[in-house]
Amino acid sequence: MFSESKAELTIFDKLRSINYFLLFLICTIFFIGTLALYSISNGNFSEWPIKHLQRFILGLIIFFIVALLDLKIIFRFAYLIFIASIAALIILLIVGDEINGAKRWISFAGFSLQPSEFVKYTLILALAKYFHSMEDYHENFISKLFIPSLIVIIPVAFVIIQPDLGTALVIFLGGVSVIWISGLNYKYFISGILGFILSLPILWQYLKEYQKDRVFTFFNPERDPLGNGYHITQSKIALGSGGIFGKGYMEGTQSHLNFLPEMQTDFIFTMFGEEFGFIGSIILILLYMALIGIAIRMALTSKSLFSKFLSLGVCSVFFIYVFVNIGMVTGLLPVVGVPLPFISYGGSSMLAVMFGFGLLTNCYINYNTTLTKGSFI
Amino acid sequence: MSESNKFIFKKYDANASINRRTAIITIAKAGLFSILGARLAYLQIVDKDKYEILSDNNRITHRLIEPQRGIIYDLQGKPLAINRQRYEVVIIREETSDYIKSIENLKNILPDVNIDTEKLYSEIKKTKKFIPIKVLDDLSWDQFSRLNANIHKVDGLYPQIGFKRYYTSGQSHSHIIGYTAPLDKNEKDTNTLADLSSAKSGKLGIEKAKDVSLRGKLGNKNVEVNANGREIRELDRYESIQGKNIQLTIDSDLQDYCYKNLNDQSGCVAVTNIKTGEFYALVSSPSYDPNLFSKSISSEKWNSLTNNIYKPLINKSISSQYPPGSTIKPFVALAALENGVSEKREIYCNGKHEIKDASLESGIKTFHCWKEEGHGNVNMNEALKVSCDVYFYQISREIGINKIAEVCKRFGFGQNVFDSFYEEKKGIVPSKNWKLESIGTPWMVGETLSAGIGQGYFLTTSAQLSLALGQLINGGEKIIPTIVMDKNKDVQKNQKISLNPKHLAIIKKGLEDATNTQGGTSFRSRIPGNLKMAGKTGTSQVRVISSQEREEGLKKNNELPWEKRDHGLFIGYGPINNPQYAVSVIIEHGGSGSGAAAPVASKIFKYLFDNNLNLKSKSISNV
Repeated sequence: MFSESKAELTIFDKLRSINYFLLFLICTIFFIGTLALYSISNGNFSEWPIKHLQRFILGLIIFFIVALLDLKIIFRFAYLIFIASIAALIILLIVGDEINGAKRWISFAGFSLQPSEFVKYTLILALAKYFHSMEDYHENFISKLFIPSLIVIIPVAFVIIQPDLGTALVIFLGGVSVIWISGLNYKYFISGILGFILSLPILWQYLKEYQKDRVFTFFNPERDPLGNGYHITQSKIALGSGGIFGKGYMEGTQSHLNFLPEMQTDFIFTMFGEEFGFIGSIILILLYMALIGIAIRMALTSKSLFSKFLSLGVCSVFFIYVFVNIGMVTGLLPVVGVPLPFISYGGSSMLAVMFGFGLLTNCYINYNTTLTKGSFI
Repeated sequence: MSESNKFIFKKYDANASINRRTAIITIAKAGLFSILGARLAYLQIVDKDKYEILSDNNRITHRLIEPQRGIIYDLQGKPLAINRQRYEVVIIREETSDYIKSIENLKNILPDVNIDTEKLYSEIKKTKKFIPIKVLDDLSWDQFSRLNANIHKVDGLYPQIGFKRYYTSGQSHSHIIGYTAPLDKNEKDTNTLADLSSAKSGKLGIEKAKDVSLRGKLGNKNVEVNANGREIRELDRYESIQGKNIQLTIDSDLQDYCYKNLNDQSGCVAVTNIKTGEFYALVSSPSYDPNLFSKSISSEKWNSLTNNIYKPLINKSISSQYPPGSTIKPFVALAALENGVSEKREIYCNGKHEIKDASLESGIKTFHCWKEEGHGNVNMNEALKVSCDVYFYQISREIGINKIAEVCKRFGFGQNVFDSFYEEKKGIVPSKNWKLESIGTPWMVGETLSAGIGQGYFLTTSAQLSLALGQLINGGEKIIPTIVMDKNKDVQKNQKISLNPKHLAIIKKGLEDATNTQGGTSFRSRIPGNLKMAGKTGTSQVRVISSQEREEGLKKNNELPWEKRDHGLFIGYGPINNPQYAVSVIIEHGGSGSGAAAPVASKIFKYLFDNNLNLKSKSISNV
């Protein structure tokens, strides 16, 4: 009797199966983000915090819709969803809004969306479906790598020409993480990494001037303190001067006196670290670690390969976001423009992350669902 | 080859492989998070102090506070140089979205001012967007308040209040007070105000001489600023210290009166208290508007001042050197008395004095008396009264140049009168050694004759003449010439200049007769009544008169071009019964001392006798 009913979970069963601790952690981190935005607005709730809240609520709606969908439908349309998101990237190149020389946003019905934020997840959907459906794992045939490579390289290429190096990096690493989990032989990874290093001098020629500058600046931020290095130097000053306990909520001098650029988006961790110090920063990182740890545990409960690849891919993308952002503001990585999930002010990233966690939760709810090897549609 | 190397994708024992690889990736994530934690620990714990300092440097900016310049008062306590509020407008580009619109609106609000928009716009484009640029300076209060009422229409424009120097005293005081202007390049290292963008320093006169004490001390404040440099709030403040106020010994009424009586002629006046050494007036004419330099002056205006033949920018009373002419004769007479010449000795004047001169064809060089037909027999009293040149040729020749030079130097010729004026010239007292050192040729006897009547190499200034006469007439009391009152000045009465009272009496009698008896050179300028003046005229040539010219008949001065006419000089003292004041008047190319200078001196003495300056003098408490 149970074997029949498990495929027919009612909506209440599904709601009951949601991991509410995961949701609690998400809400906690979101709350910290709202506090930070309130501080940056100098105590003005109506500027950034209110919009942040609205976006989170919209994100929650997406989360529940995606989580409660039939997993089979998601599996079935995985390629189509991916192709649709690639189409959006192409449309973007034609009609996108150019801001600061980059086409990243597409506007419709009063909303501005960043399709590249969603591609991070649709790419994982496509890869998961591909590896789930792949036959004959033992067959020694390199063409098995051809389609996954296309699935990764096409969106990465479109995002690079926007140009948005940071997002392309996250998409690329997210895709690679799924290929890794799917079991690709180590030696291909090693030769891939070697190949990448060897091709760096060639890639270098294709980088735009400002991107080269950023790399130079990364290696020596004091090179030009009011130019590219200015952001990272000021960010380090803000974090460092925060000390162990921080300067206190809404007391960050660097942030409140506008020494920090883009505080509400990519550099929000800096302001948080300045006001709450080392202890606050570490607590925030621990919250992210807990969130990722729980997500990985959830992912491993799934029985179908599709669910596992998808869930673990979502975890990896989320991790890459957090790591690249904090690595960037602390001066460990070049400044590449990656937001800090749930905290940075930005609509597309919020909705995309919630979409990702919706997928993860869907897999978790339907951990017992078995999927046949899928066709294209 | 192991099995694992054979396949592109490992044979899927699905869950085992995924679990293993997930474990690896999870450990990697934990490792990377640890690196972030370590990085934060390094920034926020290890390097905390370094970044704290950098953060404070970022937000705290040091701003300077301009000190007010010391006020300059006159003898009566009237302020001569004060500070006025200066109303200016600056623009900060980052504070406006459209600076051209703001400037256009400003033009509408203040249609009566001129803005060189082309120059301004190019400056705005060149300057960093957060640095204020001056748009208008020195607005009137009316304009300034009109702007303030409409300030909402001009985004990015800020009205500001600073200080500017204002001279209340008009043209008569321009030279002695001087003026201030922005620092010269070479001052940037030494001037203590140099860090201030609006810093000015004195360029002439008292403003320059006393610049260090007038300028005051900078204040400063620490302000919290945002990344654009905008002031958010003041953290602490150390007020600037106003420069020291200065009271001059100049009586501004007398100064005005002297200036007025020079009547736009090119010349100068010095009035000295012969007991205290205080200078009551130091006047130079013509002059210029002292407030001209508080704004930037147009090159046209500047050129008209510098090219003017009457040299209005020069303080002639201390910076212009003139041959003293006959005004040196009292000192030459004193040298003669001290060297054994009797005052009773008579010398016959036939209008000329001849000496041998091998360099001339005739072998004889002739020195003429100003009176062509000669004075006949003259003694010392008569010689001073009628200013007989032949008498002085003869006695000069007898005592020699070095004796004359010694007496002149003793009374202050050839030395600076004041120790503070950069523009002061010290004149020349010629002597044998002087000529050898500065010209390199030996002294010739004919030059002694020229020097004996204050011509030749002799040069002096108006201030020097009145000081020298003062120290002679007061009986050889050495006085310290002052222009700035000094309450703490020790009254040193012990310093004496070697002077025999009998000799002084002879000279005084000669000068009194020159002014107050019929036939004296300045008799026409005498002051009737109880209070009388006495003095010596001087007419100094600025050209060599050739013998041919002399034979064709001397041209009258008013037939010559202005710059070839003789200088007119007069030195005098009064009242003769109890001398208080020494006055020197020089009229450049005025024709003669008796005609041009003595009448001016006479009016000045009359003023001095009518107005007791000692009673008017009022000590200022805040000096």
